[in-house]
Amino acid sequence: MAEKTIMLCCAAGMSTSLLVSKMQKAAEAQNLDVEIFATGASDADNQLEAKKIDCVLLGPQVRFMEGQFKEKLAPKGIGVEVIDMKAYGMMDGETVLKQALTLIG
Amino acid sequence: MNTFMDTLSKKIMPFANKLGQNRYLTVLRDAFMLSFPLTMFGSIIVVITNLPFFNDATKTTLTQLLGNGQNATMSIMTVFVTFGIGYYLSNSYDVDGIFGGAVAFASFLILTPFMMTTDKGVAVSGVLSLDRLGAKGMFIGMIAAFIATEIYCRITKKGWQIKMPDGVPPAVAKSFAALIPSILTLTIFLAVQAAVTGLFHVNLHDVIYEIIQKPLVGLGGSLPATLIALFFVQLLWFFGLHGQIIVNSVMDPIWNTLMLENLEAYKAGHALPHIVTKPFMETFTVGLGGSGMTLAVVLLMAFVMKKKQYRDVGRLALAPAVFNVNEPVIFGFPIVLNATIFIPWLIAPLIVTAINYTVMAIGLVPAPTGVSVPWTVPIFFSGMLATNSVLGGILQLVDVVLVGLIWFPFIKLLDRQKDPLAN
Repeated sequence: MAEKTIMLCCAAGMSTSLLVSKMQKAAEAQNLDVEIFATGASDADNQLEAKKIDCVLLGPQVRFMEGQFKEKLAPKGIGVEVIDMKAYGMMDGETVLKQALTLIG
Repeated sequence: MNTFMDTLSKKIMPFANKLGQNRYLTVLRDAFMLSFPLTMFGSIIVVITNLPFFNDATKTTLTQLLGNGQNATMSIMTVFVTFGIGYYLSNSYDVDGIFGGAVAFASFLILTPFMMTTDKGVAVSGVLSLDRLGAKGMFIGMIAAFIATEIYCRITKKGWQIKMPDGVPPAVAKSFAALIPSILTLTIFLAVQAAVTGLFHVNLHDVIYEIIQKPLVGLGGSLPATLIALFFVQLLWFFGLHGQIIVNSVMDPIWNTLMLENLEAYKAGHALPHIVTKPFMETFTVGLGGSGMTLAVVLLMAFVMKKKQYRDVGRLALAPAVFNVNEPVIFGFPIVLNATIFIPWLIAPLIVTAINYTVMAIGLVPAPTGVSVPWTVPIFFSGMLATNSVLGGILQLVDVVLVGLIWFPFIKLLDRQKDPLAN
C-alpha cells in the first residue's frame, strides 16, 4: 500500500495518463512512495469509493467539475484542485507532483 | 483585444460550467457511455461483414452468421440508453439505480406498440418491431426514461414504501421497497398509453418521432447546425474548457440517432440518409489530431517553426497527436487564450468541415456508414474504417494539409514575435 494516493481526472483518462507516468518518474527520483493513477470523469465516483484517495487533481479542461468534486470531498477532507495549465500542457510531472503533495499537506 | 477576451470569458464560463454540471446532461452522457462498449462491438462486426475485398456472396453469408453481433447491440441501442438513464438518474438522487433502470425501461416499453404491420398489410401481434428499439425509438425512449425515473425517485423519496422487518435479506427488502414506487410509475404510463391509443388511435412512438425526433434530428444533421456546434466547441476550448464534453452533452442524442439511422440503412443496403453523424463528427474533426484538427499544428510546430520552445512542445505533442490526444498542444502551445491564433483556431475546422460535407454531398467521398470508430484511432485508418473506403482516409490527409495552410501565416507571425513567453 502506497503512503499517498493521488487521483488525476480528465475527460476520458487519456491525456492525464500521460501526465501520470511523468509524475511517477518524478516521484521515484525523489524516493517518494506514492500511487498515482488517472481516470475519466464518469468513473471517478467508482474509484473514490474503491480506494482511499488522498487528493484529486483535475485537468484544466474539466475545471467546471471542480465545484461538484469539492462538494463531495470537502467533508471527507480530500483536497481537490485544478492542475496548472502550463504545467499540464508541458506534461511537467515534477510541478504537478509538487502541487499534489502541497494539497495533501 | 484583451478586454474583449475578458468579457467573452466572463459570459461563457458560468454558462459552460452550468452545462457541464447539469444533472440531466451528465446522466445522458453516462447512459450513452453504457452503450459504448456494445456499439463498439457491433461496429466491428459490421466492418468485418462489409470488408471491401469480400465479394457479395461472402458478405451475405457473413451477415447471416454474424448479423446478431449488430442486432443485439447497435440495432437495440435505445434499450441500453433507457436503462442507463434510469440507473444513473436514480443514483444521482441516491435511489437504488438498478430498480430505477428496470422501471425506466419498462415504462418505455409500455408506450411501445407490441404489434407490427408487414409490407403486405398483415397485422402481427405479439412482436416488437426492431426499429422501435433502435434509432426510431431513441427520443421517446429518452423522454420516457427521464420522466419515469423522476416520478419513481420522487415517490421513493417521499417514503411511500413497504418497509420490511430487519430479518429479511437485503435484496428481498429492496425489492419490496421498490414495489409501490414502481407500481405507481408504471400505472401512470399505462394510463397514458391507454388514453393515447384508445382515445386518439395513435401511439406515442410515432407521435414523438414525427413531432420531435424527425425535425430535431433533421435540423441537427444540417451543415449550418453542425458548423454552429463546432464553433462552440472551438470557442470553449479557447477558454481552456473541454469543448467536446460540453457540446456533446447537448448534441450527442441527435448525432447518435443520425448514426443509428445511417447504420440501419447501410445494413439494409439502402442509400445513407445522413452525412453528419456521430462518427462524422469524431473521425473528421477530433480524428484529425484532436479537437480543432491539431495534427497539422503539431507538425508545423515540430518541424517548421524556428523557436526552440515551439519545436520542443511540438515534438512532445507529436506522439499523443497521432492518437488524437491534443491537450499537450492546447495547453502547451498554448492555444488557450492565445490571441494571435484565435482566428485560425476558430475558422480552420469550420472551413474544413464545410468542405468535407460538400465533398460527401456530391458523392466524391462516401459518407461515414454509421460504424463507430473510437476517436483515438490514428488518422487515415479512422477515415477508412468510418467510410469503408480508402477515400475516407485520403480525405483526412487532404484536410490536414488544408489546416496547415490556414494556420501557416499565423504560425510565421508567432515565430517572429520577439518574446513568445511575454504573451
